[in-house]
Amino acid sequence: MLQFLLHGLTVLLLPPLLPGLIAKTKALMAGRQGPPVLQLYYDLAKLARKQAVFSRTTTWVFLAGPVGGVAAGLVASCLVPFGHTPAPVSFEGDVILFAYLFGLARFLTILSALDTGSSFEGMGAAREATFSALAEPALFLGFAALAKATSSLSLSTMLAFPGSLTARFTGPLILILAGWVIVYLAENSRIPVDDPNTHLELTMIHEVMVLDHSGRPFALVLYGASLKLLVLGTLILTPALPRAPHAWQNWLAFYAALAGLAVAVGVVESSMARFRMTKVPQFLVAGVLATAFAFLLMLV
Amino acid sequence: MLDVALVLASTGCWFAGALISAVPRAPERLATGLGLLGSLLALGAALHLLLGGAVSGLDFRVWGFPARLELDALSAAFLLPLHLVGGLGLIYGQRYWPLQLAWGSGRSLRFFYGLLVAAMTLLFLARHGLVFLVAWELMAVSAFFLVGTEHEKPEVRRASWVYLACTHTGTLLLTAMVILMAQRSGGLLWTVLPTATSPWFEGGILLLAVAGFGFKMGVLPLHFWLPSAHASAPSHVSAILSAVMLKTGIYGILRVSSLLPDIPRGVGGMLLALGALTALYGVGNALAQRDYKRLLAYSSIENLGIIAMGVGLGWTGRATHDPWLMALGFGGAVFHVWNHAVFKSLLFYGAGALLHATGTRDMEALGGLARRMPRTALTVFPAVLAVAALPPFNAFLSEWFLYRGLFASLGRGYPWSSALGLVALALVGGMAAVAFARFFGTLFLGSPRSGLVDHAHDPAASMLLPMAVLAGLCLAVGLGAFLLLPLLDRVIAAMAPGTPWPPALLAVGLRVDLRLLAGVELGLLALVGVGLAWLHRQADAPEADLPTWDCGYAAPVARAQYTGSSFADAWAPVQPGLRARRPRFRGLFPGGASFRQAFRDPVGEVFLEPRVVRVAERLLRFRRFQQGHLPVYLLYVLLTLLGTFLWMLLRGRLLG
Repeated sequence: MLQFLLHGLTVLLLPPLLPGLIAKTKALMAGRQGPPVLQLYYDLAKLARKQAVFSRTTTWVFLAGPVGGVAAGLVASCLVPFGHTPAPVSFEGDVILFAYLFGLARFLTILSALDTGSSFEGMGAAREATFSALAEPALFLGFAALAKATSSLSLSTMLAFPGSLTARFTGPLILILAGWVIVYLAENSRIPVDDPNTHLELTMIHEVMVLDHSGRPFALVLYGASLKLLVLGTLILTPALPRAPHAWQNWLAFYAALAGLAVAVGVVESSMARFRMTKVPQFLVAGVLATAFAFLLMLV
Repeated sequence: MLDVALVLASTGCWFAGALISAVPRAPERLATGLGLLGSLLALGAALHLLLGGAVSGLDFRVWGFPARLELDALSAAFLLPLHLVGGLGLIYGQRYWPLQLAWGSGRSLRFFYGLLVAAMTLLFLARHGLVFLVAWELMAVSAFFLVGTEHEKPEVRRASWVYLACTHTGTLLLTAMVILMAQRSGGLLWTVLPTATSPWFEGGILLLAVAGFGFKMGVLPLHFWLPSAHASAPSHVSAILSAVMLKTGIYGILRVSSLLPDIPRGVGGMLLALGALTALYGVGNALAQRDYKRLLAYSSIENLGIIAMGVGLGWTGRATHDPWLMALGFGGAVFHVWNHAVFKSLLFYGAGALLHATGTRDMEALGGLARRMPRTALTVFPAVLAVAALPPFNAFLSEWFLYRGLFASLGRGYPWSSALGLVALALVGGMAAVAFARFFGTLFLGSPRSGLVDHAHDPAASMLLPMAVLAGLCLAVGLGAFLLLPLLDRVIAAMAPGTPWPPALLAVGLRVDLRLLAGVELGLLALVGVGLAWLHRQADAPEADLPTWDCGYAAPVARAQYTGSSFADAWAPVQPGLRARRPRFRGLFPGGASFRQAFRDPVGEVFLEPRVVRVAERLLRFRRFQQGHLPVYLLYVLLTLLGTFLWMLLRGRLLG
């Protein structure tokens, strides 16, 4: 019970910390002071008090993106184990629901971007739709390899199993995680796929889709993005974490790893530039190939 | 006995309704009432059977040979979507295609619509080769007249003729299959065949079935009639064609394979691969369509491919005596048949409402319809999410079944076909999401792209009501799928009558999982409600009339919006039929530029059409036999008779 409570509190309270950590890392790497780590919390509190502005073109679909994104993210977070603590809800086949919940969030975001009738947002929506459809097979092939290894279709079993790292599974696991890191960067619109801090709308993917959101809807968008950072991050971290004998040690390891992941993303962002838009599909296909190879290794 | 009589009465009602509406100045209410009564009767009988009623049959004699009509779980599973969509389409069609139109096509439309439903009802009952073929032809021919309702347009005539040629080629193959089966069982009556003789024989029957029924299902090289036929037909006809008539192909292969004592190994894997390719091909081409009804038709090809994957998985399970695999494969296929019937007919009704309001099938001329047709947009929305297989709507559940089946077969030594299926299913899901984000975004969202949208408004209540019913079903089936498990178990048991296996496989194996899944989906809906409430608590300020901010761009024009084509532009490499001529820019100050793009179906229009035209030109030589004079034809008859006579005389000597 206490575990579930901690799970819920982590999901509700922790996500906005991650973008703050990334930004701080980037600032320190660049020799700047940077915004405080808790900046996103302040932003959310401010936005929640602000009046939202709606264009005359928009309809109820405009709100479906922010609300659906957060709702799908929260529900999906109930299905993943945090570290070696099992997920609150788990059943055979929950992994498919997990993947499709993110699909739902993305679909609604795309529709709410198209609802504004702005050409910039349409452009972002088209890019997001294309890139995420390319990232999807990488996610699924990774799941397939893990399912084959653990003969289970439940995230709690699939992700917790490789903690023991059997020798036969080490190679495929490394490939899966490498593929999923690519998916992680793409899905969370980080460098080298997308630059969240760019100043030019023509080069954006995710940010350009939410240009017209303001006030509370925009707060939901920002919170949903940080939630995605947490939940998809868990997917990468859990198989890589060693199992500890005590529950509190597991939680501690999980939090430390999460902070480590945020710092790592910050380091990646500081050390390389965004790819040209035409090179992004190649990068995503590299992720698909890595997971496909892992899957093949599991089959033979 | 009672159930089959009810279904026969339903056929009678539909047939009577069709006849009445063919009469000049027909009482339309009576005809519609008869059709609806027929639907209710058949739905009641099918549900009664699926909920545990006994199989009931009716024996009679055709020309002295025994024949049989029977209602079993498999028939009932296909009667459900037929009479749901058939009845709703009847309500929808009243205002969509009024009887009093100037060109008088309303009467023939109503007649053939009733005939189509009656023929398909008979088809699902037939257990006799000849009765089956007669019902099949009746269905095919009435569908031909329905597709050609607007026969004054040349492209409609063309579409209906292509359809007729395809369906008759299919019937030819099916006749061969029926003869082969009659050879095997010693009669035209369809009963479960006794023990297997040779895998070649069963394999031959199955191959003929897949090829013959494949024309209806639209599997990969045989699909080319489908998009233009669906685009040309009136929308509620497109709905029943896509939701039910394509499924008669699925019904056919399921029925024939259920009669065979054994399924050869390998056939299942082949069908799985074929289905995966069909699904990918369908969704890739759906991305390229500008005509929104053609887009829906290509999406039907995709979904039929997904269903075929399920059937292939089920066959693999049956061939290897693996009940769990069989249950997931067949269960997923039948469940997707139901789900596709619900959401695709809803999409076609929605498309009909748009066509009714704007008069164009070109997506690029529309936009912003969600503001002008809010109720249509709201009812179509669940179907758009369902077709992209997103939770919590119905199609997600049937794809979930298939994922479970594919993962299960992964663990049982069929890694290659299941790996292909998994990747295909994941890719198809992603691409369908792109295609339908484009569909909904271009049609309903943004600002209008032309003046056609100005006077658009929601359709009449009698058109909205069927859509609302279907939209409700999309969500209800998505949440309450665990209630359908016993029904699916009955259907699966009917598909492998010979094999001893535990009853209620799905109900035992999936109940807990599906309940938890429904709980998670309810949680999702609750969170959406909370989120919306939180957003609305604040919206008390007066609504200002503001333009889209769009980075401060001062004069936004509708033409600058992303079009449907530009939205899908990145996918051009995987759209085999799309040909584009892109402008080339040279120098620092390039002149004017133009961009053209056209879609032609790679199999039907690019590959087959020129070849068929060439053959047809060669065949023109035989035209001189067709003089048009009665004496010449009488001469032909005489010559044929003489030839037959000579053959009878000389046969003994020639053959020894």
